[in-house]
Amino acid sequence: MNVGEILEVFLAFLRFGVLSFGGGMANLPEMARVIIGNGWVTRQEFADGFALGQFVPGPNMLAVLFYGLSAAGLGGALAAALGMFLPGAVGAMWLVWGWAWMSKARWSRALRKALVPISMGLSASMVLVLVQLSVDTLFWGLGVLVACYLIYRGLGVVWVIAGGGLLGLLLGLTTG
Amino acid sequence: MKVPRSRLFLAFLQVGLVAFGGGGQAQIYQSIVLKHRWMEEREFLETTALCRVLPGPVFANTAAHIGARLGGVLGGVLALLGVLAPGATLMLLLSFAYFRFGAVPGSLAESALNGVAAAAIGLILATMLHQAPIALDSLKAVGLALVVFVTYGLLHWPLLLVLLLTVPVGMGLYWQEAAENSAHPRASQGMEADERG
Repeated sequence: MNVGEILEVFLAFLRFGVLSFGGGMANLPEMARVIIGNGWVTRQEFADGFALGQFVPGPNMLAVLFYGLSAAGLGGALAAALGMFLPGAVGAMWLVWGWAWMSKARWSRALRKALVPISMGLSASMVLVLVQLSVDTLFWGLGVLVACYLIYRGLGVVWVIAGGGLLGLLLGLTTG
Repeated sequence: MKVPRSRLFLAFLQVGLVAFGGGGQAQIYQSIVLKHRWMEEREFLETTALCRVLPGPVFANTAAHIGARLGGVLGGVLALLGVLAPGATLMLLLSFAYFRFGAVPGSLAESALNGVAAAAIGLILATMLHQAPIALDSLKAVGLALVVFVTYGLLHWPLLLVLLLTVPVGMGLYWQEAAENSAHPRASQGMEADERG
């Protein structure tokens, strides 16, 4: 474990954290490019870390612990989480006091409105990169669509995620 | 309203333990508004709408905000730790197991993870479908979203550059609308059960 490495991880994830508008994982495409490019994870590991993030309670962005751990050990994991969650949390706490001032300002209303479609564009980019990284067969391409349909129709998210894992397990058993 | 910090921490820790499957925001609501009655409904919806604008997951931001409001800065830090600690611990254990035992391509674990990833991508798509009618309600909104998708998703421009270009343009496009007095944040956007990330 070396301090320079951990600091590098912290700064990288702090940047992702500051820029993660629109639900948190919108910066996933850039995160994938940077940390795969740095050699911190392989493409497969990036996709697997994302999938593991679905199993834990809380935001699925906790996957950054996986990436930090791979980059620089336990210290790297904590540095990644700190960098990722700190900017939003500090902003949220500041709002307790800055709220009254902010809601009156015209720029903040314009900003709030503008961020809605922008975050849709970010989400679409995120879906694209995730499909490129982790969907490599037609079977799972269809799986994505079925999962989307089921969740859209109101089936519980937990069931669909568990179902996907089970289906993968069965597929592995039959083909392996 | 002020709440003892230990009770605050415990309440958020409980939320952190059960916030599976993207139900985190709804869990905070259940605990803070319905069970403990530390906040009113309307306050909570406005809080959620504001925390949505900030970077980072709405769930963690909301916890930090409510914690700070009820218990000062220390309260905010404790609330954040409470909601993240259970998931973070589990994530670390899973990650250690992954790197210790490895998930060899073609192995069972790898196959299962492929299925989970497919389902999770489906979840993001479904969330987008739900939000699209509200989020893309005008030509300028569609245009803005498209520009972001093309520059960031297809052309791989750096995110900072994309935001520096599109956020000011977007604010310009909505400048006129922002003048109309809409002092109340859109409450309808506040409580979606499929809040994720």
